[in-house]
Amino acid sequence: MHVMHNMLFGFQVALQPVNLLYCLMGTLIGTMVGVLPGLGPAAAIALLLPTTFQASPVSATIMLAGIYYGAMYGGSTTSILVNIPGEAASVVTCLDGYQMALKGRAGPALGIAAFGSFIAGTFGVVALSVTGPILSGVALKFGPPEYFSMMIVGITVLTYLSSGSMVKALLMAATGLILGGVGVDTISGKYRFTYGIEVLTDGLGLVPVVMGLFGIAEVLENLEKEIKRDILSAHIDHLLPNLQDWKDSSGPIARGTILGFFLGLVPGGGAIIASFASYAMEKKLAKHPEEFGHGAIQGVAGPESANNSAASGNFIPLLTLGIPCNAVMAILLGALMIHGLQPGPLLMTRAPDLFWGTIVSMYIGNVMLLVLNLPLIGLWVKVLKIPYYLLYPLILLFCLIGSYSLNNNAAEVVIMLIFGVVGYLMRKFRYDGAPLILALVLGPMLEEAFRQSLMLSKGDFSIFVSRPLSLAFLITAVLLLVIPVVTQRKKLSTLEEE
Amino acid sequence: MGKADRISGLFWLLFGIIITIESHRLGLGTVHSPGPGFLFFYAGIFVSLMALIILVRAWGMRRGEETGETLFAGRNIRKLVYVLISVFLYAILMEWLGFLLVTLLLFVVILAVIEKKRWPVAVLTSIAVTGIAYLVFQTALKSQLPKGPFGF
Repeated sequence: MHVMHNMLFGFQVALQPVNLLYCLMGTLIGTMVGVLPGLGPAAAIALLLPTTFQASPVSATIMLAGIYYGAMYGGSTTSILVNIPGEAASVVTCLDGYQMALKGRAGPALGIAAFGSFIAGTFGVVALSVTGPILSGVALKFGPPEYFSMMIVGITVLTYLSSGSMVKALLMAATGLILGGVGVDTISGKYRFTYGIEVLTDGLGLVPVVMGLFGIAEVLENLEKEIKRDILSAHIDHLLPNLQDWKDSSGPIARGTILGFFLGLVPGGGAIIASFASYAMEKKLAKHPEEFGHGAIQGVAGPESANNSAASGNFIPLLTLGIPCNAVMAILLGALMIHGLQPGPLLMTRAPDLFWGTIVSMYIGNVMLLVLNLPLIGLWVKVLKIPYYLLYPLILLFCLIGSYSLNNNAAEVVIMLIFGVVGYLMRKFRYDGAPLILALVLGPMLEEAFRQSLMLSKGDFSIFVSRPLSLAFLITAVLLLVIPVVTQRKKLSTLEEE
Repeated sequence: MGKADRISGLFWLLFGIIITIESHRLGLGTVHSPGPGFLFFYAGIFVSLMALIILVRAWGMRRGEETGETLFAGRNIRKLVYVLISVFLYAILMEWLGFLLVTLLLFVVILAVIEKKRWPVAVLTSIAVTGIAYLVFQTALKSQLPKGPFGF
């Protein structure tokens, strides 16, 4: 009953013309970003953040969210047509999607990807609206020690699941924490790590850092590789999957949806992992596993559903607890804070229009994506044909303008470029940027919770273990750190390389 | 990744040590009232420890296991450096020359000099891109783009 009432309120907000427009823009931009290789949703959201300053926080969040789940849709298009994943969550779609396209079944592949995404996205949004209030209620009882321990779990899980070496991921997280400390210390009023550089006194901005690490670094990496793209010139028709396709795909879609949603809930989990897990699961369950890799429609339907429902699931920890579970959500958190909102359990009561409006807009956005994207596939293929020598200066220009217009400060542009070089080197030396971004956002919150806890307990560290919830979180974190050492876990990155 | 890890490991070790020393200088405070450097002191130590693990592992690798990969072998590395120099110059010059001029310059340099497209094509494309970017960001989105000495 309560949920229905809230959903109706959400519809009132989301159906306002201006919000509908922002939703449409977000999903369209998102799809384009998903289509374009060399520009991921994290960089795109950071790029477009400054353009939302004119809008209300609700409209801004609706658009930024649209970019994220829109990118999940768009990513599949390039995977299927060009065998290049538009973004990381569509890597597995290449395996069977491109094979289907080679066999002249590009239409059904694109179709089932879109329908699967729609079904999964819709399920994710409904689940979000049901579980959100419950989680918020629990989180309201949290004090600083619980928050501290929960953030530790968040960072640990992300490092656990991030690609490559865990030691490097932990190192990145610690570095992010340190970078988050740059600027004035709010408690003592002392300057930390600023060395008389004026632009650093307010701290390192999230936007320049993200644009550098994800936008500029990506361009630099691609410049060196010189991507080659052969676009499938075959005519695409019969977008609607036939009855047999539906029969083959309904199971994978249903399983992918549920799996993806739960993986999306876990801090550190997300669309990329969900798509890999779904592919592996479908291959195990399939009657003819040998068809996988040779154009099995199950290998498209499952992962595409999983990454979309994971994208919805990702919003739950952010909107209810204020904990971002991946780099994109960390940027959204930063965006909300720039708009003067503090995500967390109080968000639902303090800004119900934002909370319910965003959730419902995601539902509407999913409908828009389904209706718009299938007819627009021709347009996206044209976008793909933009030559890279024109595309990369445009991406660079967007980054340059975006980082400047944040505070009208050229020094921030320099910071962004420096992080661009750092990000490029990190890619070369195989360090993952996601834990760094997460820790950079959480760092100041973590430190505050840490110090507040110690003030509460008058300096007694046992406060973190004497409160049952906090203790449970810390035990989880320790287990996550110990288990891989004991079991010599098989890294996700090895799965990726297979 | 043996060689690469030795290089990056050394970098992070140095970084960790510097952070640790600097945080100590900021003041650790006491356990009862942690100072501004408290958390970062331990973060610095943690970074150093992780860097040591990376170094030890990299050195532990036998020579034979190392792949003969070189890190910056791509023949496009020169292009990458030119692009980097251009964008850094963009950042430095943007408040002096103004958005329109500096953007036009950047695109002409990238398209004509770095990408070696024909000059007329490069110049016309640059003018179009600069104009559209100005309309989108200055006129439509009302960003405050820097003005040059000539009033634009």
